[in-house]
Amino acid sequence: MPQSAEKVLDHVPLFCEPEYEKMFARKKLKFECPHPDKVVEAQYEFTWTWEYREKNLAREALVVNPAKACQPLGAVFAAAGFERTMSFVHGSQGCVAYYRSHLSRHFKEPSSAVSSSMTEDAAVFGGLKNMIDGLANTYQLYDPKMIAVSTTCMAEVIGDDLHGFIENAKNEGSVPADFDVPFAHTPAFVGSHVDGYDSMVKGILENFWKSTERVPTPALINIIPGFDGFCVGNNREIKRLLDTMGVTYVFIQDASDQFDTPSDGEYRMYDGGTKIEDVKVAKHAEATISLQHYNTRKTLDYCRELGQTTASFHYPLGIGGTDEFLMKISELSKREIPESIDRDRGRLIDAMADSQSWLHGKKYGIYGDPDFVYSMARFVMETGGHPTHCLATNGTAAWEAEMKELLASSPFGGGAQVWAGKDLWAMRSLLLTEPVDLLIGNSYGKYLERDTDTPLVRLTFPIFDRHHHHRFPLMGYQGGLRLLTVILDKIFDELDQETMWEGVSYDLTR
Amino acid sequence: MGRRFVRPHALNAWPGVDRPFVPGLEGPEMSSIETQMRDASAKIFRTTEAKETCHNASQGSAASGGCAFDGAKIVLQPITDVAHLVHAPLACEGNSWDNRGAASSGPVLWRTSFTTDLTELDIVTGDSERKLLKAIREIKEGYAPAAIFVYGTCVTELIGDDIDAVCRQAAQKFAIPVVPVKSPGFGGSKNLGNRRAGEALLEHVIGTVEADDPGPYDINILGEFNLSGEFWLMKPLLDRLGIRVRACIPGDARYAQVASAHRSRAAMMVCSTALINLARKMEERWNIPFFEGSFYGISSTSEALRRIAQLLVRKGAGSALLHHVEALLAEEEERAWKKLEAYRHRLEGKRVQLNTGGVKSWSIVHALIEIGMEIVGTSIRKSTTRDKERIKQMLKDENHLHQSMAASELYAMLREHKPDIMLSGGRTQFVALEAKIPWLDVNQERQHAYAGYAGMVELARQIDLAIHNPVWAQLREPAPWKQFVTTARSAEPRINMRSADEATAGFY
Repeated sequence: MPQSAEKVLDHVPLFCEPEYEKMFARKKLKFECPHPDKVVEAQYEFTWTWEYREKNLAREALVVNPAKACQPLGAVFAAAGFERTMSFVHGSQGCVAYYRSHLSRHFKEPSSAVSSSMTEDAAVFGGLKNMIDGLANTYQLYDPKMIAVSTTCMAEVIGDDLHGFIENAKNEGSVPADFDVPFAHTPAFVGSHVDGYDSMVKGILENFWKSTERVPTPALINIIPGFDGFCVGNNREIKRLLDTMGVTYVFIQDASDQFDTPSDGEYRMYDGGTKIEDVKVAKHAEATISLQHYNTRKTLDYCRELGQTTASFHYPLGIGGTDEFLMKISELSKREIPESIDRDRGRLIDAMADSQSWLHGKKYGIYGDPDFVYSMARFVMETGGHPTHCLATNGTAAWEAEMKELLASSPFGGGAQVWAGKDLWAMRSLLLTEPVDLLIGNSYGKYLERDTDTPLVRLTFPIFDRHHHHRFPLMGYQGGLRLLTVILDKIFDELDQETMWEGVSYDLTR
Repeated sequence: MGRRFVRPHALNAWPGVDRPFVPGLEGPEMSSIETQMRDASAKIFRTTEAKETCHNASQGSAASGGCAFDGAKIVLQPITDVAHLVHAPLACEGNSWDNRGAASSGPVLWRTSFTTDLTELDIVTGDSERKLLKAIREIKEGYAPAAIFVYGTCVTELIGDDIDAVCRQAAQKFAIPVVPVKSPGFGGSKNLGNRRAGEALLEHVIGTVEADDPGPYDINILGEFNLSGEFWLMKPLLDRLGIRVRACIPGDARYAQVASAHRSRAAMMVCSTALINLARKMEERWNIPFFEGSFYGISSTSEALRRIAQLLVRKGAGSALLHHVEALLAEEEERAWKKLEAYRHRLEGKRVQLNTGGVKSWSIVHALIEIGMEIVGTSIRKSTTRDKERIKQMLKDENHLHQSMAASELYAMLREHKPDIMLSGGRTQFVALEAKIPWLDVNQERQHAYAGYAGMVELARQIDLAIHNPVWAQLREPAPWKQFVTTARSAEPRINMRSADEATAGFY
């Protein structure tokens, strides 16, 4: 018997027991009607070829393992960055369960969001009744300061009008007339989570800014971080930098506390987030700065319409990325970059120089959101590496052009390729035909790691199978140190694994 | 008279306890080992300068290398199937455990750390000798090594442990070679330790095993540490010539190989600073002629192979070997130069500062000149008179030579000369980085093998990589906000200029 009460086996060893092995083999033969091993093997080998790669990259309709999520996920994340805000997703219930589990599994924190739970009758007659009941229940049950409404595909397909529905619900007394219910239409069939983020942030700003007069306040700066699985570490680091410089700022959409609550016996459905009063003040800011350009295109357009100066960055990390960010902040806030930040910068460069020989000439495959891929490629080139494959499933033609410009700016970008709109199955072919030393991505990359034997460094959302990475910053010079360490650790771990039993080069000092 | 290796005041500092005779440390009369060393040195160098080739570390100087124990351990530790037992409080072994990148093709025992870990009570009660004997037994029972080397250190030599006697007794009792290596740190510099190790091999190891297959093509390689496995770049060449390396001491050596090294016909001395005494004594005792050579650089490698063949032929090998060597050299040199051409245009005219010791100072200089690089300066610390002569011949300007220097001096020099790269050991790596100079490790912790023809190509490749790493540009430039506004940076980054059209266009 493989399992006994005295020594209960975990599933890892249990299913390797001969009884299970035999059972799996029998089941496969009797019920799975498998192709002969030879055929499977041949097909597997075929996927390693350039011929297969051509076919793979020529796919037009089918998407296999996309590296992006849907708009409402971005909207739910966006709402989590505001004070006592409950996400209300108008549409079917299952979608909301996905967002919650996605965020929970990544942040290892509870994630709250409610749904209007539309069913067949709502699909036929419209979801107004669901909105009215849903808002009333949310208001009564969860005591929010604001309810941020986004939509799933279902509501979008039948064409529910959020603005009208919310008005109706208020008239019906679901929530008080002056209660804040910002909204954003977030159909998953357009764009990706970065656009949902954009729409929701814009919706919230519009909600608070539409009826007030703007009184420009010099040197007041708004920061919008964008959809960021590392918001816990990054936002705190960015705020530290701004505080060190003495900048007056409003950090719009700050989920760092919401997704990092302490265990002290108190359950916090809401924690931290940008204060509603601050959001109101933010309208008067001189400038709004986005840390992720492709996450805030509509929002920044709106800010510009109001007369604010705007600037956007691509997930500022490494040397060059952080330099540009800080100088822009310095310019807009009229604050000097202090000596302490200068030293931070020097330390990162020092660390990069210390390790340069280990990183020089390494090839990378990088995938993720457009801004992340841009900055990672840039950082990799700063360390003397080659960003051989840069892939963003939600990358646009504009992103592709910008990437190519970046790659052309460094001798280390030569030979690197940009893959906008491609998926992770395409990445599989790329890695098999043009191998790299390291793959930078998220947990989904582990299948690529297995299939192509490319070591994976998890540096972007979602990270489900490793814990707490998001608690450390990637942005800024401090983040650069973290980034450097994580990449080096992977290189050294791989090297140790490789040499462990052969022994010769299993060195104590590296 | 040659310079004494043990400073009198160190001897006077010994406690006046009744202590057994410890050859090699008895003062103020010179011990037999020191006499041998002095003789060896004098015969080799034949100049008055020879006195300074093996100097003690200067007081209060943090720039010098390790102590005598460090030196002895470095030389012997690469013998791979030996258990190296450090008879000392924890620190000696604890701080030096597995700190060199010598490579083994087989046993890994040499990397295991064995120490008697003496504590206060052991030292006060004199229980340390018994502990040592016990430790040797435990090693024998637990690991059954080919031999056990026992290192005497400051503490055990000061309290007067009779390591010789313990080793003798242990060897009889456990039927295993137990070799005392007396290397107290206060005895002198790392270099002295190197020689002590050589003496220990001469006294206790070499000649104790008879080879059953001696042949006319057997050689020893002395002072080759097989760092990063670099001797394996040379071995195939020797194999192709039918030359058998009976013993490479110490790199990737087995105890039995070292013990039967006296049956080789000729020897090549690679790091003469470390083991010149060993080569000299082996020539005296067993008539094994040697030459000093280097595997760094193409012409040095060729020269070394040629000299090996010449010595073997002189000792009775077939003279066809000389022709074989020439054919092999021609072929290998051509291949290497071809590969190096790719780097020549990237490295020609680049300026190098070397800060390394001993044999590397001239042999690497030679190699770098070969690929068109310019030597800004090289250190001659731990170099013998001969090493220095060679460097002088090559550089034709003594201003380029400098003795060991403190980090601050080195820093000042780097700032002044601004070389394109510094090649040195790990200890000065960070001085180079502070001076914003690219740096490449050519000492024991290096990750790449630089010996022979293939190694020279690798060295060129690594220098190329190091010089052209993008981080140096960052290192040399001040933070952008500290530069004048005139730098080519638009006031408004282009990333501002975007519109929402993009948001709707081009989605995949």
